[in-house]
Amino acid sequence: MNRFNVKRIPASWDGAALRRFSRSTAAMLLCVVVAGYLALGVASSGSFFEGPSVRVFLQYLATPILIGLAQMVALCVGQLNLAVGALGGFTACLMGVLMADHGVPAGLAVIVGLLTATAIGLVTGLVIVATQINGFIVTLATMTILLGAQYRLTGTRTVDGYSPTLRDLGTAAPLNIPLVFVTALAAAALLAAFMYRTVAGRRLLAAGGNPLAARLSGISTDRQIVAAHTLSGLLIGVAAVTATASLPGVNRSVGGDWLLPSFAAPIIGGVALTGGSIAVFGTVLAAFVTRLIDAARAQFSLDPSWVNLLIGLVVLGTVAGGRLHQTRLGKTGGTAAPPAEGGKQPPAVLPQPGGAR
Amino acid sequence: MTTSISPPDTVPEEKAAGHRMPFWVNQRLGLLVLVVALSVLFGVLRPAFLDQRLVLFPLLRDVATLTVVALAQMVALSVGHMNLAVGRMAAFGAMFAGLGYDRLGLPMPAGLLLCLAAGAAIGAVTGWLIARTGVSSFVVTLAMDFALLGLVSLLYSALTEDAAFTTRPSGIDELRSYSLADICAGPVCGSPAVPQIAQFTVLAMVGLGFLYGCTRIGRELLLTGANPAAAELSGIPTGRRVLLAHTLSGLLAALAGFMAAAGTGTFRASIGNDFMLPSFLGAVLGGTLLTGGVVSVLGTLLGTALVGVIRKGLDLLGVGLESLNIYLGCVLLLALSADRIRTVVSYRKVVRET
Repeated sequence: MNRFNVKRIPASWDGAALRRFSRSTAAMLLCVVVAGYLALGVASSGSFFEGPSVRVFLQYLATPILIGLAQMVALCVGQLNLAVGALGGFTACLMGVLMADHGVPAGLAVIVGLLTATAIGLVTGLVIVATQINGFIVTLATMTILLGAQYRLTGTRTVDGYSPTLRDLGTAAPLNIPLVFVTALAAAALLAAFMYRTVAGRRLLAAGGNPLAARLSGISTDRQIVAAHTLSGLLIGVAAVTATASLPGVNRSVGGDWLLPSFAAPIIGGVALTGGSIAVFGTVLAAFVTRLIDAARAQFSLDPSWVNLLIGLVVLGTVAGGRLHQTRLGKTGGTAAPPAEGGKQPPAVLPQPGGAR
Repeated sequence: MTTSISPPDTVPEEKAAGHRMPFWVNQRLGLLVLVVALSVLFGVLRPAFLDQRLVLFPLLRDVATLTVVALAQMVALSVGHMNLAVGRMAAFGAMFAGLGYDRLGLPMPAGLLLCLAAGAAIGAVTGWLIARTGVSSFVVTLAMDFALLGLVSLLYSALTEDAAFTTRPSGIDELRSYSLADICAGPVCGSPAVPQIAQFTVLAMVGLGFLYGCTRIGRELLLTGANPAAAELSGIPTGRRVLLAHTLSGLLAALAGFMAAAGTGTFRASIGNDFMLPSFLGAVLGGTLLTGGVVSVLGTLLGTALVGVIRKGLDLLGVGLESLNIYLGCVLLLALSADRIRTVVSYRKVVRET
């Protein structure tokens, strides 16, 4: 009986859906974003609402959104992708070197970059499935390899003599809304459509939510792991394109600080590390929150270290608060037992040791 | 992995590879052979590799420090958790040691104790958060990494002028540069290749070996890692074991931070920046399972030594810094794939024979 009730919930759209949304992580994040933005605007006596400020704010929001989404795709099948920053940096440097040193036209270089990133994601997924080594370790290894490759490509110089067209596109902002930001939003929308509306997307979620059940219903979990890493690679490729287009130049430090934000966005956005759940909107909003912290830091000209400290505390607060909230719900509901003291969740960290069996 | 099925039997050094597996499956033996073979190979290719004072001494000092880092990771892995904040906990601990020397004028051992206490405290906070909220250790330590990264740099820039404590207590220079050759018992002197700082590593290894091999608490830690639900049902206070594991992990990370600071001579925020990768490399190559329940103290040393030897050897062969990482990543993948193949092959053999 209970099961049928659960099934019928999505059907009753009137009110119930709205009420559910108002309790969700996304709604809370939305409030935080709006409140934070208004507070910053007031603190800067209005200058934060003006065109140039908005443009700069959104300009540097594209990359966090995209890397957060890339990580989210890996998380949704229960995998981790530690190579986010290294792959992004490598792809950005590859495109920069192709354009600046080898005179490859910008369009071709972007396509090559996207294909390379996708291919590396594909190889990572294949290695995980073929060797059955834990995805954590495999991406740790690919991260090391790619960091070396990136250093080898650029050395200590900064590649900046590449296509002015691409750079114009990167800084172009009709109506003060940068194109790179629009790109990131479009990628998020496409990803959401893919995940929520297509069979392939549902398969990814099924394989992440319960690998055994997915396998029994005829879904190859191996193939889903490969697909997730490929998609993750593609999104990182897009992130690298936006970074190359909007940065003044690419060097070996590009991507170096992507890893932590890439985890922060999905986790704050409400994605479970165990796999099987995604939150595209939540991830985008969480990227907004981290960007707000950065903007506030710049506004009050504080030490950049504050950003890390605050993001760390926000993530800790989010996960602890979310867990306490669940516990309280469980208590008032009286049915679901609150998680017993003494976090028995270790498999949650790495739900699929060695890919899939 | 077949060894993870019966954790209590497979824990200590000798028994690990299971009862009926052929001896060549033993990961630690393979590692030892690999380390020795590679050292000989590099020694033949570049005789300078065997220079005791100029090459082996710094190599062993690095290996000593990184082994402690890997042990810190191993302790967290033993309960099936991870500690992504090892590097930052090292920086955090080292900062307190530097603060003690600089502001309070503490003698060296007191500073070390302060450092260890700070590391254990931050580890305990992490463990408490994980045990209390039940959130995945990956997320909590990642957030802790963020938070400490900010906090440590902020404190350094607030407390010092050039973002480093440079006051050195008496004895720390000796710790850095002394080898066994400087400590003579009468006419018998040790090798000039073995640094004195390795004493901490040996202490940590002996302590952990005893903990996991001979004590009830060690067994309970492993059981918590192997199967938390079963551990809880058999009356093990898993929450407290998780707390203990993270406290120990923080303590060892702080010890590694102190060793790294003693090795470079200054206490600065960048200590531990590059600890995360070696910590996993050493522990995982040594045979510790990421899923928890199986640890290997000796294997951790050998895994770290293997990485150190490859790094140094390639460096001497003239492989540039930029390519070093590429090779290291490939070696990691190859080593783990080889291990996997070996396990599968030997498992089939055992199955066929029975």
